[in-house]
Amino acid sequence: MKFLCVPCDSPMKLQTVGPPERGSLSIVYSCPECGYEMAMLTNAYETQVVQSLGVRVGVESGSGSAAEPNKCPFPAMIPSTEGARPGQTGEPIPVRWTAAAEARLANIPEFVRPMARTGIERFARERGALEVDETILDAARDFFGM
Amino acid sequence: MKRYHDIVGDGGSRVLEQVAAQRTRITEGLAEVRHLVAVGSGKGGVGKSTLTLHLAGALRARGLRIAILDADFNGPSQARMAGVLGALFVPGTRKVALPRTRNGIAVFSMGSLIPESQALEFESAADDESHTWRATREFALLGEVLASFEWGALDLLMFDLPPGAERTVQYADFLGPRTSFLLVTIPSDVARGVVARSAAALSKGRNRLLGYVENMSGYYCRDCDAIKPLFDTGQDSPSHLEIPCLGTVPFDPELARHCDRGIPLAERTETPVGRALERVAQQLLESLELEPAR
Repeated sequence: MKFLCVPCDSPMKLQTVGPPERGSLSIVYSCPECGYEMAMLTNAYETQVVQSLGVRVGVESGSGSAAEPNKCPFPAMIPSTEGARPGQTGEPIPVRWTAAAEARLANIPEFVRPMARTGIERFARERGALEVDETILDAARDFFGM
Repeated sequence: MKRYHDIVGDGGSRVLEQVAAQRTRITEGLAEVRHLVAVGSGKGGVGKSTLTLHLAGALRARGLRIAILDADFNGPSQARMAGVLGALFVPGTRKVALPRTRNGIAVFSMGSLIPESQALEFESAADDESHTWRATREFALLGEVLASFEWGALDLLMFDLPPGAERTVQYADFLGPRTSFLLVTIPSDVARGVVARSAAALSKGRNRLLGYVENMSGYYCRDCDAIKPLFDTGQDSPSHLEIPCLGTVPFDPELARHCDRGIPLAERTETPVGRALERVAQQLLESLELEPAR
C-alpha cells in the first residue's frame, strides 16, 4: 500500500510504527515535501493479515492487492462443473425458473448455486417438468428426505 | 493522537461488521444443535473420516439426529464414503438443505460440489503467495458453510477434520469452546506421538477433549474370525496419550471396500469391528451425556 500526498504529488514515507495496542497498529506517514502527516490505524484483522505474510511493518513491506470489493470470494474456489455430471449427453432441454424459485436460489450462497441449479433442473426434467417452481423445490426436498 | 479504539466505527470498511454478522448467522444456524464434536488427529491416514462416518451411523441407529461436516475441503472423502457424491443441493427459503445418507445422516462434503478430478481453487492477488491466504480463505469458507446450510435440530454435529496438528488447533479456535474433540490414532509410535502433540496443544485451549480412539488396532481376519496384529509395536508400547481411551477399533478390509462404494456399516454390528464401533459410540454417548432417542 502506498500513500500519496495529493497536493505535492509525492509518495509519503513511513515515519513510525506504534507498538500493537489491542491488535491495532498505528503507522504514521509523512510527506517529505510539505511535512504533512497522516496515521493509518489498522484493525486486528488487517494486522493479522500483515503478520500472516511474515513481514513487519516498517522493516519491509509486503505486496498484494485487495480482493475485488463487494464480490463473494467463494465461487471462484469451486471449479466449474459444467459437463462433469455423468449421464448427460447433448444439450439438455431448457428448464424455466419461476420468479419465486429464482428468489429461493438467490438466497443461497453463490458457490452452491450452479450445482443447485443443475441438480434441480435435472430433477425437474426427470419428472417431465419444464419449469422449476417452489412445488418442484419442495418435492426435491421430500424426495431426498431433507 | 487518537488511537484505533478511540474512534467509533471503522471508517466504512465494514470488515468487523461483516465478520460479526457471519458469526451471528453461524450461532443462529447451530442454535438447535445439542453437541458439536470434532474428530481430529493431527496425523493423516489414521481413519478419521471412516471412524466419523461409522460412529455417526452407530449413533443414528440409536435414533439420534446426526450430521457430518467434512471440514477437509482440500481432500474431502465423506461424499464418496457416505454415498452423497453429486448429491442434490436444494434451496430452502433462506438456506440450503443438506444431502442425506440412506440412513438419514445429513452430510456436507466439498466432494459433493467438486468432482474428484478437480480441486478447490485458491486465487491470490499476490503471485506465489497463496499459501499465506489459504487457511484464512478456508476458514472463511467453513464459516459460510456453517452459516448457509440448514443444520436444524440435531443431537450431534460431527466435524471430520483435515490432518495436521496445527490445523486441529486452528479448528478449535474457529469452532469455539462449544466444540468437543475426539482424537484418532493408530497403534504406531509415530502416530501416537503426533496425536499426543495435538492433545497437548488442545489442552491449552478451552475445548473439551473427550479422549481418543485407537483405530486399526489389529485387523479382522474373516478366515480365522479373529483379530490379528497390524502394526508390530509390541503390546508393551505405551500409548503416550494421557487422555481417556474411548475404545479400539480393528481394521476390516471389507469395511474399507464398503466405504469406497458408499455403503454404510448399518447392520454389521455382529462383526468384531461393528461391535468395537458400537462400544466407542456408547462411550461417546456417555461422554456427552446423550441419551439414545426413544
